[in-house]
Amino acid sequence: MTPRSRHLLERALPTLFAWLLLAFLFVPVLVVIPVALTDRDYLSLPNNGISFDHFAALANWRAGWMASILTSLGIALASSVMATAVSAAFAIGAWVYVGRWPSILRVILLSPLIVPPIIYAVGMVRLWSKLGLLDTWLGVTIVHVILAMPLAVLAIGASLSNLDPRLVQAARSLGARPATIFGRVILPNIVPGTVAGAILAFIVSWDEITVTLFITSRGIVTLPRKIWTSIADAVDPALAAIATVMLAVTIVGLILRMTVWDRIAQRRS
Amino acid sequence: MTSFQRWAFCLTVPAALLTLCLYVLPILQVLALSFTEPTFGVGNYVALFQNAAIGRVVRTTVFVSAVTTVLTIVMSYAVAFALVHMRPATRRVALFMVMVPFWISVLVRAFAWVTILRRNGVLNSALVGSGAVSEPLELVYNQFGVIVGMVHYMMPFAIMLLYANLSEIDLRIIQAARSLGARPVTIFFRVWVPLSMPGLAIAGLFIVIFSLGFLVTPAILGAGRVLMVAEYISVQISSTLRWGVATALSTMLLLVVAILVALAMRSSALRAAFEGGRK
Repeated sequence: MTPRSRHLLERALPTLFAWLLLAFLFVPVLVVIPVALTDRDYLSLPNNGISFDHFAALANWRAGWMASILTSLGIALASSVMATAVSAAFAIGAWVYVGRWPSILRVILLSPLIVPPIIYAVGMVRLWSKLGLLDTWLGVTIVHVILAMPLAVLAIGASLSNLDPRLVQAARSLGARPATIFGRVILPNIVPGTVAGAILAFIVSWDEITVTLFITSRGIVTLPRKIWTSIADAVDPALAAIATVMLAVTIVGLILRMTVWDRIAQRRS
Repeated sequence: MTSFQRWAFCLTVPAALLTLCLYVLPILQVLALSFTEPTFGVGNYVALFQNAAIGRVVRTTVFVSAVTTVLTIVMSYAVAFALVHMRPATRRVALFMVMVPFWISVLVRAFAWVTILRRNGVLNSALVGSGAVSEPLELVYNQFGVIVGMVHYMMPFAIMLLYANLSEIDLRIIQAARSLGARPVTIFFRVWVPLSMPGLAIAGLFIVIFSLGFLVTPAILGAGRVLMVAEYISVQISSTLRWGVATALSTMLLLVVAILVALAMRSSALRAAFEGGRK
């Protein structure tokens, strides 16, 4: 084997393979863009030129897309705020109160990350139908809070693990009361983690489908639920239009995350 | 307990109440129902093992999950390995291509695959149009489509876990192997792969667990023709209302997940990730 062909085999081919796999991940998602711009009224690539009709259809109130976006936004905001508050309290408490209780509780709290959501869905259908909370704002929001807590706890916990415990010792030895220590010493120091936790909690709720599917019917139609129903019908290009909008938001969010957030983090440290 | 410690303890109470009452309790009720619905006893479990339809669902689930896991791990390892060797600027581009599918809704991804793979979808139009095939291929609403969608869903997770693991490997070990005259292929299989075993194990575990209980992608890309456990459970509780079967299957699923996690908890890396707390 010549050195050239060896180089080809050992370096260039694996790299090419990796980029093909990256394309497999990235390119299929982009296909929703041309489909959203189709000039026909069924799922297809544009035939004679492009059209923005399907985006206009999204704005039509009677199509239900705007209503479901607002529903999802409302539920995601509410559950993000609640999940972040409860998770921050837990994470701080567990950081200060070292013992068996917080570490057992932490495992239970994180278990929704691993336990298949379908099992939780079965349990919640049963419980909510008994309590009359099926298909209600409260019912959906509570479930989303539970499902959002693990990531919020992880994000806030990561922030806390960088916090110097001597800071708290110093505050205590100077006579600060517990409320002052939690509110004015610990909390201000974990703002980045808390913000990250809130964003993650928002995204979990915004994307949640498996459990929501079973605990809602006609009353509460979140955006994922609306998309799920439309995929079953599988004809309306408005679906591609909403997918394009979500893709655009994701890409903008990621670019912000990769540029602005890193810069803020750099400035703080 | 000092007043400060008491305060800290109280802060953990709301989270504890929420999870215990509204997460743990409903799941325990699922376990209980599997023994009491419709009559008391283990009848549901006997039925699970005797019912041919459920047997088929379980076999499909195990097969699809196994293929998905193997493909995902091999392909993700290739990407993670390339990521470690990229220049920082190139790596940012590559990571971006991983993160976009990671953050985009699972529904959007499944929908994109339906658009591509359907009978008159993007891929078939291209293939027929170019004359590569005369008849459109059956690419979706079968196991092939489900596996493509699931691998696409799982890969970003696996890549991130493996990349984190690979970038912690001490490059001096690789240099040592090279200076001792090892060829790149030897270094890959006898140095990189053994050193990344913990990462491979954890990524494999997560993907097996996610696959076994996956509802959305198999349901959309299988369209009822590739029935996996989660979709079967969903049919039982929403249309046929056979709660006994649904809860018994859920219990079995939970048991399998618990066994897999228990096995994995013997690895110290995962234990650390879960118990966390102070470093």
